[in-house]
Amino acid sequence: MKTAVFIGTLESPPNVDLKDVAGYASRLPGVVKVEMISYSSPPHPESLADELRRQGIERVVLAGDSPGFIKPLFTRAMALAGANTDEVRLASFREHGADLKSSTARAKAVLACAVQGVPFLLAAEPKPLAVNPNTLVIGGGIAGIQVALEIADAGKKVYLVERSGTIGGHMAMFDKTFPTLDCAACILTPKMVAVGEHPNIELITNAEVTGVSGQAGSYRVKVLKRARRVDVKACVSCNSCSEICPVAVRSEFDSGLTYRKAIYIPFPQAVPNAYLVDPENCTWVQSGGKKCGACLKKCPKNCINLDEPDQTVELEVGNIVLATGYELLDAARVERYGYGKFPNVLTSLEFERLTNASGPTGGKIVCKTKKLNKRTKTEEWVADPAGQPPKAVAIIHCVGSRDANYNAYCSRVCCMYSLKFAHLVREKLPQATCYEFYIDMRAFGKGYEQFMERIKSEGTFVVRGRTAQVVESNGQMFIKGEDILGDRVVEFPVDMVILAVGLVPAPGTKRLAEMLGIPLDQDGWFSELNYNGEPTQTERGGIFVAGMCQSPKDIPDTVAQASAVAAGVLRSIACGCITGDLSGLKLEDIESRAAQLAGATKEIRI
Amino acid sequence: MSIRVNPGFISELEKYGAADVQKCYHCGNCSAACPFSKEPFIIPRKSMRYLQMGMEKRLQGTLEPWLCYYCGECSEQCPRGAEPGETMMSLRRWLTSRYDFTGLSKLFYHSWKAEVLALVLLALATGIGFFLWGSSMGDINHYDGPQAFLPSSAVHIFDWSMAGVLVLLLGINALRMWWFSLGSREDLKLSFFDYLKAVYLLPLHFFTQLRYSQCESKRPWLVHLVLMLSYVTLFVLIMFFLHEMQSGPQVDWRVHIFGYLAAAGLVLAVILAIRGRLKKDLQQYRHSHASDWLFLGLLLYVALTGVVQHVFHRTGYEFSANISYILHMMGVVPMLLLEVPFGKWSHLAYRPLAIYFAGVAESALLKQNQQQITEQAGAARAA
Repeated sequence: MKTAVFIGTLESPPNVDLKDVAGYASRLPGVVKVEMISYSSPPHPESLADELRRQGIERVVLAGDSPGFIKPLFTRAMALAGANTDEVRLASFREHGADLKSSTARAKAVLACAVQGVPFLLAAEPKPLAVNPNTLVIGGGIAGIQVALEIADAGKKVYLVERSGTIGGHMAMFDKTFPTLDCAACILTPKMVAVGEHPNIELITNAEVTGVSGQAGSYRVKVLKRARRVDVKACVSCNSCSEICPVAVRSEFDSGLTYRKAIYIPFPQAVPNAYLVDPENCTWVQSGGKKCGACLKKCPKNCINLDEPDQTVELEVGNIVLATGYELLDAARVERYGYGKFPNVLTSLEFERLTNASGPTGGKIVCKTKKLNKRTKTEEWVADPAGQPPKAVAIIHCVGSRDANYNAYCSRVCCMYSLKFAHLVREKLPQATCYEFYIDMRAFGKGYEQFMERIKSEGTFVVRGRTAQVVESNGQMFIKGEDILGDRVVEFPVDMVILAVGLVPAPGTKRLAEMLGIPLDQDGWFSELNYNGEPTQTERGGIFVAGMCQSPKDIPDTVAQASAVAAGVLRSIACGCITGDLSGLKLEDIESRAAQLAGATKEIRI
Repeated sequence: MSIRVNPGFISELEKYGAADVQKCYHCGNCSAACPFSKEPFIIPRKSMRYLQMGMEKRLQGTLEPWLCYYCGECSEQCPRGAEPGETMMSLRRWLTSRYDFTGLSKLFYHSWKAEVLALVLLALATGIGFFLWGSSMGDINHYDGPQAFLPSSAVHIFDWSMAGVLVLLLGINALRMWWFSLGSREDLKLSFFDYLKAVYLLPLHFFTQLRYSQCESKRPWLVHLVLMLSYVTLFVLIMFFLHEMQSGPQVDWRVHIFGYLAAAGLVLAVILAIRGRLKKDLQQYRHSHASDWLFLGLLLYVALTGVVQHVFHRTGYEFSANISYILHMMGVVPMLLLEVPFGKWSHLAYRPLAIYFAGVAESALLKQNQQQITEQAGAARAA
């Protein structure tokens, strides 16, 4: 079949040597023409059709990154040339993982399949391998919890490794979920308890994965179990140790709004429900057992061992699930909003804790007040329940998101949680004015649009326009932005500013990706195998992604993806075999398989 | 009221230097960051909107580009890299070519080669003309006295007639500017008193460039002010005190103090501006159109030849002084005749005029906006 190959030069993955690929294409069977084209100034369909007709082209292959963008043009040209319009084949490099180290070879393989007219995933099928029925889940947020429960409920063993002292992740910090305004804890806590009690789940908290070897179906994983220094089984969470502990550290769970001790429980509903020691801040650990040790004397159960060493365990698993989640972009980087400079400019997670009934103010929305810290003898701003409620609150969307200077991508959840914040402000402080500054309102999910309309009808001023600046004069904060629909520049006095800060991959994502050999996308999230077709699998067989660590997504999407991951894991366990790594395949294998498949389809046609 | 749009307008504006206009997604960050963005003049997002929609007619009547001094704050903060500041600069170039009735401005902005050709041709004509004119009046070896090659009394007449031509050209263009922005707008009811009330804005902003000083970075304003004041000083000296400047070997210090200060300021400011454009250290220097380089190059040439001519004159090299005088005029005449009415220099008239027109129309536009908002609110309530 006479084939013409067009290679788009714009935005091709950086590791692909396009000249090499073009040379390779010209040697493929049936290829009579190879041309480099630019997507920004593509050829005209009429002149293209003339050319195709003159050369008797029967198949056109468009190669490059997202070549589907210019497919209609070529379909039209083929139609004008009187050729079969179905024979415009796409060879999308990035879609099939050609942004790895061996990307030129992958690009060639993708191209070879397209030239043969065979879908890449059909020709590039790794060999099946035997599978160990145990599964490792990395990350104990809502995604990890959901995956672990689904697999464990199906009767298979799961190791759930969590870095912090408790599972629950960010969702445990939330007050309400959008758009239903359900209580987040009411959904999450039963699941957390179920994980803690499940006979098929081995929960390894305060731990980190340090090494992975083996292949799909039989991975050997090294896990560093940091010493908890408290016996989980014996601890009854009586709080005696924490009461006596003299060290105060900003609480991670309360986004730094309150203090915790060096021996602490992250929050009362933590799973496992036991205390742990923060060795970096513990006087005993830091002094090598010479100082303090107050908690040891106070503990009624004698379950504290401050000298407990870290240990490394090795796990053998068939599948690994990545559910490592996200963190917030450092809001201080967006200097013009004054985070870190003005005490009452809060990040979304800080406000989430402030408005939470279990938070530092018992759910009262108040401005921070200046108080003397008796320990350090310095004045600092604290969220005190007796503080003044703000008269006006501004919520700024897209802080560090959709911005070429920070994150180019949309963080996807901010619009909705910001609307939720507006609701909470108006609900708890009906006298307060609430401004919402947005660029585009992305209310894409089930019931989201209605939620937005509801918030608007509740009296929040929803202003279309990005805020440029938060300034302070005479102790009063002002927020300046353009009201685009009202055609004016506005400046409002506000007492509290909430920044809907963009999301970035959790710390350690890159290290984990290197350890596992999984590519990251351009924004640093884990790359899935195929965004449309295989959104839960990765480049390596037996390794799955769930939740935020793949890309920003809300709780419903995270839970749905987590369940889909569980289905994928259980499928491999049920049939006893697993597909291996795509990267283990050689170019020649894919070529010959594609040729074989192409031959078979030809026979069927005849 | 229907508005005819020109969908290809952005590609037309690209010839004037604009790029990345399409990237804008109208978040309004630029307008909120701009120190001049105040109702009813929302700078620069509104112009970006008109541009994307191809509303050429409406853009032709906007004054907003002239109210922008390109501090670059908008481009720096722009989350899309859409370069609103550069777009405003391009719009100023485009507006200059719209105000110009001869079409020369458009030609020059579209093709720098045409501009250079015109400058060179006019320079040659000037050179030959002055040489022949001088030879008919005196001796090339004499600068002063009765046998002077180019006596200041004769040059004086030449200067004034050139000024007349310039005023005529710029005046017509300024009238067109008024017609586009205020005169043709039927929705604006402006009385003579409105025009009179705001007239103080013209000299105020011409001489102090008060608005420019409101930009966050003061350096460009200072450079610009020095450049402008030096230029105006030299202009006044040449137009009114040419005889005192040129006459004889004896020196009139009262005139020369001003002359030296202005010449130093001119050279210094031009060098600073060129350095900025080469180093690209400020947002406003980051993009340079061919017309910007020609502008600075010509200015530097004229200033330096002027200084050289003065040195020859004062040291008694009369032949060299005459030759360098012709060379100086070969820069001055094309600069004044081509750049002032048709090129970047025209902004010396358009900027203060725009501030004046904006001041005239401000209250009327505000009232109109308020009315619209009330109407919209009323309609919303009715719905």
